[in-house]
Amino acid sequence: MAAYTLRRLWQFVPTLAGVILLVFFLFNWVGGDPAYLLAGKIPNPETVANIRKQLGVDEPYAVQLWIFLKQVLHGDFGVSWSTNEAVSNIFATRLGPSLTVLVPLLLISTILSMAAAMLVAYVRGSLTDRAVMIACTVGQSISILVYILVFQYVLAYELGWFPVQGWGVTFRDNLLRYSALAIIVGVAVSLAPDIRLYRTFFLDEINQDYVRTARAKGMSEPRVMWVHVLRNAAIPIVTNVLLQLPGLLAGAFLIERFFGIPGIGREVILAVERSDFPIIKAVTVYVAVATMAVNLLADLLYKAIDPRVQLK
Amino acid sequence: MWPFARTAALIALIAAQAAWAQEKILRVTFQAAETGFDPVRIHDYYSGTVVEAIYDTLLTYDYLARPSKLVPSAAVAMPDVSSDGRTYTFHIRKGIYFTDDPAFKGARRELTAQDFAYSIRRFFDPKNRSPYAFLFTGKIVGLDELAAKAKAGAQFDYDVPVAGLQMPDRYTLVIRLKEPDRNFNYVLAFPNTAAVAREVIEAYGEESSAHPVGTGPFYLKRYVRSSKIVLAANRGYRGMTWNFDPGDNERFKQIAERMRGKRLPAIDGVEVSIMEETQSRWLAFQRGETDIEYQLWEVAPTYMTDDGKLKPEFVRRGIQLDRTVDPEITYLYFNMLDKVGDAPNPVGGFSKERIALRRAIAMSYNIDDQIRIIRKGQAVRAQYPIPPGVTGHDPKYVSLIPYDPRAANALLERYGYKKGPDGYRRQPDGSPLVIRYASSPTERDRQFDELFQRGMDAIGVRVEIQKDRFPELLKMEKQCRLMLRHAAWIADWPDGDNFMQLLYGPNIHESNNACYQSAEFDRRYKKSLTLPDGPERDRLYHEMTRLMEVDTVWLLADSRIRNSLQQPYVVGFTKHPVLHAEWLYLDLEPKPAP
Amino acid sequence: MSEQGVWALAWRRFRRDRLGYGSLIVVVLYVAVMIAGAAGWLARDWNLEKGVSFAPPSFLGPEGAESPQLAKAAEGAQPVADYGIADPLAPDLAAIAKNLVGAGAGQARAATLPFGGDKWGRDVLKKALKGTQTSLVVGFSAAALATFLGTLFGALAGFRGGKVDDFFNWLYGVFTSIPYLLLVLAIAAVVNQKGTFTVILILGLAGWTGIFRLVRAEYMKHKVREYVLAADAIGASPARRMFVHILPNVSHVVLVQLSLHVVLFIKSEVILTFLGFGVGVDTVSWGSMLAEAGSELLLGKWWQLTAATVAMAILVTAFSLFTDAMRDALDPRLK
Repeated sequence: MAAYTLRRLWQFVPTLAGVILLVFFLFNWVGGDPAYLLAGKIPNPETVANIRKQLGVDEPYAVQLWIFLKQVLHGDFGVSWSTNEAVSNIFATRLGPSLTVLVPLLLISTILSMAAAMLVAYVRGSLTDRAVMIACTVGQSISILVYILVFQYVLAYELGWFPVQGWGVTFRDNLLRYSALAIIVGVAVSLAPDIRLYRTFFLDEINQDYVRTARAKGMSEPRVMWVHVLRNAAIPIVTNVLLQLPGLLAGAFLIERFFGIPGIGREVILAVERSDFPIIKAVTVYVAVATMAVNLLADLLYKAIDPRVQLK
Repeated sequence: MWPFARTAALIALIAAQAAWAQEKILRVTFQAAETGFDPVRIHDYYSGTVVEAIYDTLLTYDYLARPSKLVPSAAVAMPDVSSDGRTYTFHIRKGIYFTDDPAFKGARRELTAQDFAYSIRRFFDPKNRSPYAFLFTGKIVGLDELAAKAKAGAQFDYDVPVAGLQMPDRYTLVIRLKEPDRNFNYVLAFPNTAAVAREVIEAYGEESSAHPVGTGPFYLKRYVRSSKIVLAANRGYRGMTWNFDPGDNERFKQIAERMRGKRLPAIDGVEVSIMEETQSRWLAFQRGETDIEYQLWEVAPTYMTDDGKLKPEFVRRGIQLDRTVDPEITYLYFNMLDKVGDAPNPVGGFSKERIALRRAIAMSYNIDDQIRIIRKGQAVRAQYPIPPGVTGHDPKYVSLIPYDPRAANALLERYGYKKGPDGYRRQPDGSPLVIRYASSPTERDRQFDELFQRGMDAIGVRVEIQKDRFPELLKMEKQCRLMLRHAAWIADWPDGDNFMQLLYGPNIHESNNACYQSAEFDRRYKKSLTLPDGPERDRLYHEMTRLMEVDTVWLLADSRIRNSLQQPYVVGFTKHPVLHAEWLYLDLEPKPAP
Repeated sequence: MSEQGVWALAWRRFRRDRLGYGSLIVVVLYVAVMIAGAAGWLARDWNLEKGVSFAPPSFLGPEGAESPQLAKAAEGAQPVADYGIADPLAPDLAAIAKNLVGAGAGQARAATLPFGGDKWGRDVLKKALKGTQTSLVVGFSAAALATFLGTLFGALAGFRGGKVDDFFNWLYGVFTSIPYLLLVLAIAAVVNQKGTFTVILILGLAGWTGIFRLVRAEYMKHKVREYVLAADAIGASPARRMFVHILPNVSHVVLVQLSLHVVLFIKSEVILTFLGFGVGVDTVSWGSMLAEAGSELLLGKWWQLTAATVAMAILVTAFSLFTDAMRDALDPRLK
């Protein structure tokens, strides 16, 4: 186990190196020159040259790459080119709001989808099963964009149940008032695919031999579901959720943008629009490391729970 | 008697407490995120708005005077200008204090002439990489030389005396210019030229953008980046009394009636929320979550009638409308050089064939549709490069270039742009003709793409739409590497020169997007710099405009109408053409209890 | 069990699933629309401005459709003076004006359209039909590209193992670690030309990773099976073993993945177009319709949003149900 972990950690390095190189060269090659953007309405060549000097982009690529590597090692990516805010500060302050929305969202949607999936797995093949599956398919076929637009319009505006957007001061306020609609939209969007997926997990378990054995031994069906199937299916479900987290952090930008949540996804979009390389560098590296770490964690979890699993 | 008086006093106190209990906070939105509050470093409109509220400049604009008029702000009076027009003497008001800050080590810090001199110097420090350095570049005696020394690698020197910035006493600032400059006073009304305290900048260093300390009517109370900016009224502000002359304007007269004599700032604070999506802003305003909204172009048809009035259902709710034309122009420009980057430019040059091509393209673009469909009717056609509200505007001028696709087609035929077998027109020498029109990948730009495409389809010219992100486009534009693009210019100050300089030869690579160089134009422009506003200058401007049209450098499109919606309890608001933040001049009648 | 036998059995199982079969019919209908659109038989004039701006649907009847008045400043007025600058084109324009007699009568704009019009007065129904073509082409092509890459890489990695496997795993790690938005941006930036082709490239190049993992696992399972060892014994080359022997046995997994990714990419195109990396101006897709619909909803114009959502929902639902039925038919254990 320890040897496996070490080997996997060691594998972080080439992957991270690949990510760094990819981001660096693509961004420098085609990522856009922020100097003109920062130079304002009337950019004379001197101003532009000065800006590039201050940002450090007039150095040769090798030097810039070396600086990037040092930044990764120290975990310090400098300051934003547009606002001068320290990148580490940006992450520290934006992580909170993102998680305030994502954690309840994942919790609620996972619990709901697991319950629904277990139910339809229990009545598999019946009309209820088919009906729910079709409903999920239809729900999944509507773009998240449509969900956001319509929910915001109907629930926030027409009915006035939630603020249209914004962010408050206290945690309680943020969680109960401002995140509510974002969480609802997020849950609505993830329910359908999650139910379908978790149903497959449950069915996989139900078809296992040990379940047949349990039934043969006279265990009642509900007990089979709760005690055996749920416990075993929970593992792939939990790992599925964990694996999504790093991607969701950066990827929740649509929801954050429409609902005015000052989270990481929104920062990413802003950084892309402004060609703010320090932030893009930091996000890419953090998400890459987080993804690799979570993947490793998931694999270790599997191994810990089911010793039969062969980790290569 | 005594107990009665005591009870009365108690009752009065409680009543006063109740009245004070409800703070008057103005809630507004920005449609793009701010970047910081250091006056010298900011490069966007919204940061400028907050800077205007927190700091003081030497001069500012009269709230109601139209066309806009400069009045003293931190200065006691308009400056004494020497007879040769080169020396400006400002007397600063005594008794203006910065808000308290640890950087002042417990002492109350008064504003002095030294602070303005320091702030002007900061434009030249390369570390600040100020986008507004152009305001002072080449103007003040001794400052450019100082800047040159710093560029060579040395630290910028804030202490060595500069001939052009003298302070004979604590409250007097004498600025010496190299050349007389008619518009120099306008520069000193720019929020970027506001006074900052050296101790604060040195104490906070790179963080000073988030730690503004000013002498203005508001201070920064709470700040969540890209999300929320909360300002509170500065109780130590020197204060002023509302006393503006409304002139003949009916709406201004009403404002004056309600506001005259009030002590400013009348509100207790401002809460700014950043809302990028129109849907969010509009819904928030309608639900009463924000107080003033003037960034709602896309949904104008929901609250405006066809003839420019507020719809009855909104009038019934007491929503107020303030309607102004922005001092801006939008236009389509052609690259006038022979080459675009390394490739030959099919629309550049001054031969009759090229002029005909540009003219035909200009005649095929439907500006009425742009106003009607893209602007939702909230714009006026721009016939003249100087928009309304700016000195030098001529409402009677009519553009030489009509919308006439049929004539455009005939013109192209006449000049040898015949259609090839693929149905698209070719150049007179038979080689293919492809127009590259550049725009950014936003939904908004997509509408302009569609309109432009339709115009070109009507005259049978092939278009290639070049998509790039905004920073890239900006860069290529300044390097004259774009063939055609939409552009806009909003007045830095309300004088026509600010618009005519967009076509001046030496401004290529800066504000002259079309990279237009015409000896005829430049000659007249240089002459116009020596003239004050008046019939003589107007004549030159007319000739310059006609030159621009005859060479077909631009197709002028429109100037947008700014509809400002306010909740019924907002008093005294009108959108000023130049000032960003009218927060100092308005009031909120206490909201009725829910 | 012979090759043909397996597929024939699967087909028979599939046919019994009424829902799945019905979904297949719907999908075929959509594909027919796509072909008709591409051949120019259907909705060829989608770009024509037939109606007034935001013409309401016929079943609602004509409203006061939006036609905001413009400030009629100097409509039709002639330039006031010469200002002393001569226009080199003046003689030509005068001659042209003489020849063009009478104002060109603008064609009448319809007050309503079958399912309404967009801001330019284009028929929403036609746009939805033409959009079907674009979205389906994007979905199928991108899925084909992603499947091709994922299968190729998966086969090489799973079969060869060793350094080849390490390399592809490294590539997989890099691609999955970069946030999707940045990956999309990077690819979009490299491919300079924008348009439908770019969208296909972006989706295909960013989306091969899921397929890769599954195919690799399959190849690792199969390469130690007897039939492969037998093929090796009779001297079949690695390439032959990979693609002639194993691939057919893995094809059901690949097919299901292909199908899933079609759906995924059709939905991704919407987001991409919303972000600005989508199809060009002269192309209409469900994504472009939804992107426009965002601001239209606030104006109370709901028909474009509805048309695109319904069209997409029906296809995606049918395709998903079809995929489920196909998967069930190919691998009945999972029922």
